[in-house]
Amino acid sequence: MFTHYVKMPVTKEALEVVERCMNVYFKQLSNDLDAYATHARRKMVDPADLELLMKRQGLITDKMPLHVLVERHLPFEYRKLLIPIATSGNKVIPQKPT
Amino acid sequence: MKRTVPRSTLKNLLKKHKPQLRLGGNADLLVHLNFLLFLFRLAEEARTKAIEEKSKIIKYEHVVSSAKIILKKSRG
Repeated sequence: MFTHYVKMPVTKEALEVVERCMNVYFKQLSNDLDAYATHARRKMVDPADLELLMKRQGLITDKMPLHVLVERHLPFEYRKLLIPIATSGNKVIPQKPT
Repeated sequence: MKRTVPRSTLKNLLKKHKPQLRLGGNADLLVHLNFLLFLFRLAEEARTKAIEEKSKIIKYEHVVSSAKIILKKSRG
């Protein structure tokens, strides 16, 4: 994935560093998610928590909503699960929680 | 590029750090999205570093210095 994004040759040591970064990143991520969930007195991580996280990371802004990011980076099967799509007969899949 | 999301791997990774936490709904997909964006940012940063030093390949120190910046940026 990393090699796809850089579009440049990468040395072996550099890739090892990337791997270590990923571990650190996941540690941070799980700590943050834990904080958000316990703050809301939940044991489940909701999609809303992730949205908040990305907002705080500066990924989601007013100009760049979550749906655009999903459309750009995730394949269609997953986009279908995340973004409700209106189908014929005035049905929306998946159903929005009310 | 591989496009499928390793959903169970993601869940296991999170479980390793926080065993009591559960992922609801399609939250794991959003975790994956977040992870992809993290890698994307890291790649951009490392590339600019390499270009600044007029190097044709991405080396160890480019990644280390950009990792520091990006990990700081991706704190929640």
